[in-house]
Amino acid sequence: MRDVTIGQYYPVSSPVHRADPRIKLVILLLYMVTVFFCESFLSFGFLTLFVIVTVIMSRVPILKVLKGLKFVIIIVLITTILMMIFYTDSDATPIAEWWIFKIYLGGIYSAVKLAWRLLLLVVMPTVLTLTSTPTELCDGLESLLSPLKVIKFPVHELALIMSIALRLIPTLIEETDKISNAQKARGAEFESKNPFKKIKAMLPVLIPLFVSSFRRADELADAMDSRCYRGAKGRTRMKKLRLRAWDIIALIGWCAITVCILFLKYNWLGWNFITMLSL
Amino acid sequence: MISVQKLSYVYSPKTPFSKQALFDMELTIENGDFFGIIGSTGAGKSTLVSHFNALTRIQKNSGTIFVDDMDLSAKKLDLKKLRAKVGMVFQYPEYQLFDDTVVKDVMFGPRNLGLPPDEQKARAKEAIELVGLDYDAIAERSPFELSGGQKRRVALAGVIAMRPEILVLDEPTAGIDPVGKRDIMRLVQDIKKVCPTVVMISHNMDEIATYCNKIAVLDHGRVKGVFTPRELFGSRELIEQCGVELPLVTELAVKLNEAGVAVDGSIIDEDELVSAILGAVENA
Amino acid sequence: MPFLHFENVDYSYPSGEGDYIRALIGVDLEVERGEFVALVGCNGSGKSTFARLSDGLLLPDGGKVTVDGMSTADKGSLYDIRRKIGVVFQNPDNQNVTTIVEDDVAFGPENLGLPPAEIRERVDWALNAVGMSEYAGSNPARLSGGQKQRVAIAGVLALKPELMILDEATGMLDPEGRREVLDVVTRLNRETGMAVIMITHFMEEAAAADRIVILRHGKTVADGGRELFMTPEVFTDAGLDLPVTVRIAGKLAAAGVDIGTPLSADEFAAAVAALKRGGKP
Repeated sequence: MRDVTIGQYYPVSSPVHRADPRIKLVILLLYMVTVFFCESFLSFGFLTLFVIVTVIMSRVPILKVLKGLKFVIIIVLITTILMMIFYTDSDATPIAEWWIFKIYLGGIYSAVKLAWRLLLLVVMPTVLTLTSTPTELCDGLESLLSPLKVIKFPVHELALIMSIALRLIPTLIEETDKISNAQKARGAEFESKNPFKKIKAMLPVLIPLFVSSFRRADELADAMDSRCYRGAKGRTRMKKLRLRAWDIIALIGWCAITVCILFLKYNWLGWNFITMLSL
Repeated sequence: MISVQKLSYVYSPKTPFSKQALFDMELTIENGDFFGIIGSTGAGKSTLVSHFNALTRIQKNSGTIFVDDMDLSAKKLDLKKLRAKVGMVFQYPEYQLFDDTVVKDVMFGPRNLGLPPDEQKARAKEAIELVGLDYDAIAERSPFELSGGQKRRVALAGVIAMRPEILVLDEPTAGIDPVGKRDIMRLVQDIKKVCPTVVMISHNMDEIATYCNKIAVLDHGRVKGVFTPRELFGSRELIEQCGVELPLVTELAVKLNEAGVAVDGSIIDEDELVSAILGAVENA
Repeated sequence: MPFLHFENVDYSYPSGEGDYIRALIGVDLEVERGEFVALVGCNGSGKSTFARLSDGLLLPDGGKVTVDGMSTADKGSLYDIRRKIGVVFQNPDNQNVTTIVEDDVAFGPENLGLPPAEIRERVDWALNAVGMSEYAGSNPARLSGGQKQRVAIAGVLALKPELMILDEATGMLDPEGRREVLDVVTRLNRETGMAVIMITHFMEEAAAADRIVILRHGKTVADGGRELFMTPEVFTDAGLDLPVTVRIAGKLAAAGVDIGTPLSADEFAAAVAALKRGGKP
């Protein structure tokens, strides 16, 4: 059970792993927005190209990435099929017909685009968690949110809470396991169809779990106090996040990609890529 | 009787994290045994015993375990019957207490067995008294306000109240002071009078040597052998081969031999060592 | 002026039934820099309360606790007191704040506001001192109990305290883990001169200390060096065991064979061997 960790960090050394987590978070945000600007197959293809480049650069095996997407792929498949089935267009003629269902070319187009968009939306967060440790992400978030300190937003506390939560999750899972085994050994059964009964049956696990969580929290607080913790006041960090040239280049690169997608969408400057390409 | 036959177990099978924890284990625990299981952390002790009451189910084609005539690898297994038969006390069992009074907590097991309320209460009383607590003084108190030692006894009573025939104890004396340790072990001997078969995991070789009649040594998921205390602690090769710690008394006997005082190197009992030393010194 | 000074300290906490349990009663104790003290007593003798009073996690109901002249009751000096006293607690799972060993060790020095380079230096030094350098990047959840406690010790060590209190820090470990921790602590005391108070009920650990203080029902009932073992009653009355060597030596003495009070197996064997060579009338 001690192998349970939140996130799915894949420990290899790569340019993507080494990148500043703040930059990674900013790029992710930028990328998510960009995905929504994609409309034509050309822009999807264009963006996908760079996603593939990123995955290759991350040195995470493709299978590993796909495994992270396993659950999403199922959802995507279902949505796509529904979309194809229920798409109606009174002006067009269906390309296939079966029972009450009519399949239109437009339906296929929109379904494929929807699926593509969904996949693009989840693949990069997956890459982010595969290439950054939870601690890095916490630190990155803390640093990015630090301007909010001006309005007294407890940025440091929030980041610390996240970090402690991440570290306690495996411990709590292990503990839940132990307690429920102990109660099962005393003949307890947790399987019940009735939700109220089910909750009642869980009490012998939940109560000890709460009691021990409070005890843990107390002890952890004592341990932190005795190690001179007094909030963000006067605190420094061992690992200072530092931007490197590569981080800036990556950020500029992704900005450029976004701009290209916007060009494709709004046909800025009157360029028509399709016609340009066909020339 | 528990008979373990060619038992293997793999954690998270068919994933990149898969790890084999048990390899073709074979051992037999007879009725009436005080059976010790030793081995370093990660040797597979807890994984093995969690099979005894089917908290861990036997995987496909991974051997089997018989508890009396129950085949634990069978698809349809009467879990209630099995768990009533094999009582299991985990490490730091006091962390499983949950009900608002001691007696209700101890009744939890009998209640799950579907016994009538009178019987539940009668068993709880019997168990609380068996673990050396004063029923009238403690029954209606909250288990959470008891002392550490009392909590552990209540937790023990919670398992005893199911009247198991086989009691499995995982480090029953962990975290208790020396006098408390002896009290708990005395208690276990009392319990053994009504529950004749006891299986105990322990890192404390003194307890193992003093109380167990048979000891299984586990190492990296394999059974290195089953020995009597004298066989195990008396054999230098076995000790080294199995990476076993010596009971304190035996360690002294070994050191004495190294220092040129010839005494039996398999002595476990203090008084025996005293007379051996007296003999050796007087013969000089 | 003693480094850690308990002056007539009382402490009680509420029990479940509206009553109070008197955990410490009029405790007087002085610990100097560089000492290695074992504080022993059975469960409920008040020894864990002692650790929490020492660095101001608890405040005495009566009497006074001072560290290097500063009272723990003075809120303003708590931070300075905690820089001087580090505490390692019992449960190896409840002391670390992050998912990476070296980040966790850095937590203390980060709180001190040290420059990053110095924090790095202290973290590397502390991990090396407890023999855990190769696990700097690991997740503490994957370590053994003994390793987790060594990381906790490093976390305290990185604050460079003058006194380290181990509050039953070996209580939940297996024999191997206990040995790892005891070895690390004895070495640190010898090599860096850091004072150590080892709170424990394991007699082999008590026997490794220079000075032993016995607590019983919240009072100190004995305080001395290894000569304490010559009066076994003080241990047994306090609900403690004697080291097996002392126990057997006592039985031998009762049979008219005197080998003194050996505290380790080696001392024991040497004493018996010497006696055998010397012969007996």
